[in-house]
Amino acid sequence: MIDFARVQKELQECSREKDSSGIRVSPKSDNLARLTGIIPGPLGTPYEGGSFEIDITLPDGYPFEPPKMKFVTKVWHPNISSQSGAICLDILKDQWSPALTLKTALLSVQALLSAPEPDDPQDAVVAQQYLREYQTFVGTARYWTESFAKASSLGVEEKVQRLVEMGFPDGLVRSTLEAVGGDENLALEKLLSS
Amino acid sequence: MAASDSDDLNLAHDDTADDDYFYLDDTDYDLHPPQASDSLDDDQLQGSDSRNDDDDDLLQSSDRHDDGDLDCDDNDDGDENALEEDDHDSPISGQNFSVLTEADIRHRIKDNIAEVSSVLSISKNEASSLLLHYNWSVNNIFDSWFADEKAAREKAGLFLEPLIESPDHGSSFCVICFEDYPCDGTKSTSCGHRYCNDCWSSYIKTAIADGPQSLLLTCPHPSCRAAVGEDMVGLFASEKEKNKYSSYIVMSYIESKKMIKWCPGPGCENAIDFVAGSENLDVSCLCSHSFCWNCTQDAHRPVDCETVTKWMSKNSSESGNVNYILAFTKPCPKCKRPIEKNMGCSHMTCRAPCLYEFCWLCLGDWNNHGTCNRFKGNPEEEKREKAKQYVMKYTHYFERWATNQNSMKKGAADLQKVQTEQIEVLSRIQAQPLAQISFVTEAWKQIIECRRVLAWTYAYGFYLPEECEAKRNLFEYLQGQAESGLERLHDCAEKELLSYLKDKISVEGFIEFRKKLTLLTRVTRNYFDNLVTALQNGLSDVNSGSSSVSKKRKSNWAAAAVNAAPVLDTNINDDSATAPAAAASAMEPWACAYCSYENQSSAANCAMCGRGSWTCDVCTYANSRTSATCAMCTEAPEP
Repeated sequence: MIDFARVQKELQECSREKDSSGIRVSPKSDNLARLTGIIPGPLGTPYEGGSFEIDITLPDGYPFEPPKMKFVTKVWHPNISSQSGAICLDILKDQWSPALTLKTALLSVQALLSAPEPDDPQDAVVAQQYLREYQTFVGTARYWTESFAKASSLGVEEKVQRLVEMGFPDGLVRSTLEAVGGDENLALEKLLSS
Repeated sequence: MAASDSDDLNLAHDDTADDDYFYLDDTDYDLHPPQASDSLDDDQLQGSDSRNDDDDDLLQSSDRHDDGDLDCDDNDDGDENALEEDDHDSPISGQNFSVLTEADIRHRIKDNIAEVSSVLSISKNEASSLLLHYNWSVNNIFDSWFADEKAAREKAGLFLEPLIESPDHGSSFCVICFEDYPCDGTKSTSCGHRYCNDCWSSYIKTAIADGPQSLLLTCPHPSCRAAVGEDMVGLFASEKEKNKYSSYIVMSYIESKKMIKWCPGPGCENAIDFVAGSENLDVSCLCSHSFCWNCTQDAHRPVDCETVTKWMSKNSSESGNVNYILAFTKPCPKCKRPIEKNMGCSHMTCRAPCLYEFCWLCLGDWNNHGTCNRFKGNPEEEKREKAKQYVMKYTHYFERWATNQNSMKKGAADLQKVQTEQIEVLSRIQAQPLAQISFVTEAWKQIIECRRVLAWTYAYGFYLPEECEAKRNLFEYLQGQAESGLERLHDCAEKELLSYLKDKISVEGFIEFRKKLTLLTRVTRNYFDNLVTALQNGLSDVNSGSSSVSKKRKSNWAAAAVNAAPVLDTNINDDSATAPAAAASAMEPWACAYCSYENQSSAANCAMCGRGSWTCDVCTYANSRTSATCAMCTEAPEP
């Protein structure tokens, strides 16, 4: 069984010490096994300014088994799947220790955003790009942060939806929007001319 | 009118007989029957040869034959290891390997721990942590310990001093459950990081449930490498978990030893300790499973591991539909989808959207189709024919391999029955002491071993290149001889025995039977020894007239082919007559075995004493003129 007493204490601790890290953890519902974590994108990285939502599921063996975490917010990072949000991080797998907490785990995820490890990738496409065309990588990661990890990013989804409703395929709309830096009109022009 | 019932096959309508085959792709004729057997372990050491004990084997068996008579020797029945222990087929068993039961392994582990603990003056718990971290190499432990004790301790996570001050009074905060505990409710390992007893228990429990990596468990503190060893497991784990932990230790021990492997027999928990450098790779466990040490497949002497791997993966790889499609369909000439004929006429119409119409026979466009009855030579047809041939060849060998494998398994079951029931019944009904009946078990052991060898020779035969005709002839001849000998023996042991289990037959009758079965056992053994020897030297006898068994035996074999069979009645097919007259070794002058006269090569009988080739009165083996005693049973000829 999950040690709910400990989870409660962890949550109390988190809300008590609102420190500079900006990391927050809150339960999704009454059930403490499903939680949501928020980490701010680290300064000086393409993720700066973004706010990343992480879905946390506690296994029955918690804290003796690692919590399951994945990004809900789409993020462009070599160790995070751009499709599913799965995170490749050792402390969430075999290096987990019961002396770690949700907070420390989220801090590690935040550290991962600052220091990608392209040699041990979760998303091969991103990792390739990171290694070969670093500038493109930074551009894409920043664009994804702008599009998905900011409050205004809702607007992007609306733009996408409007363009899709005009009859363009979803994938193409997204990539075109990305290519023109999010300008809906430019994207439409491009879509029409292609 | 196209019908369809499968994803892969596009059935179109058509004509003529069904037995046309088509072969789509000529890259690899990999066609398998669906009843393929299980696949290989992959710890196959590359291609090493399984050259074996045949020299000793031959020596031993001929030694044993020297006592010539039909006494049933020295056999201890009832012992379930009898098959391995006293069988002539593995004469050096007990030398090239030994079987370790779980108790034996635990004993060795205990010895190792005791040694390390006493030499280094550390606790048994610390010693076992060291052993686990040093892959059970006592020498490595000593080397690094005496070179740098601190480094060795660090590697194994054994600290002399706690890393942190640990209060021995007051309360202590458990960072796992976030509760305060009095100190005696907490515990730490050598590093001093304290956790409450409940958390320790859950921590260790989770780790053990996770698998053998729990053997290298460390303190829960994220960066602490202090070992959590057997003592902590002993304190906090349940009985069940402790057992699991200790079985991990046994596993770890076996896996660390290059020369020890688990017996792959189903449900068997023994391990085999192999003697490095032994040439005989076949080992057999107490559970009566015998296997090749190198590739852990079932024992497959005299065929080498490489052939066995190829054969087994062939039997198990994909198969079914693919083969069917390859052998029995043609691709549509236009869209290339495979098509099977499901109607009588040759006018085929491919399924929509292709709808191409063509002739099934010549694959030509139906619109311009006149006749296609003239032979023009068609490479496609040839390919298909080749594929068909290949399927048939494979089926031939596979069927025989599988049948012999099954016969072997059935034989093992029969032997069990013989040993547990029939021997006693026989002894009672025929009023013979048990010792006089052991020839039956002998016969069955021989049958099992021979079935095993015979099965693998079919895998060998499949891969024997067609081009080496001489080798192929010799191989098939030897195999044929061995097989018909074995069939006689098996038949006799299986069927004739039955009547003796029912009624008392005259003492003479029983002695006759004993004589016959003993003899068949011995003759069959010799046939198989020949076969095994020949395969082990790669059938080299066909190249050099000079080697070991070769010439004398070969001429014997040819002669035997004609004579040996009929006398011992039963079901031998007459293929023996087709044996290669390979025995044409009679091109040199020869010395008479009796009067030593140098005869001319053309002389069939000795010009001096008139003796020539002769049939053994005891076993009916046809011996060459140059042998003074029977090559099979070592009897001398009747004067």
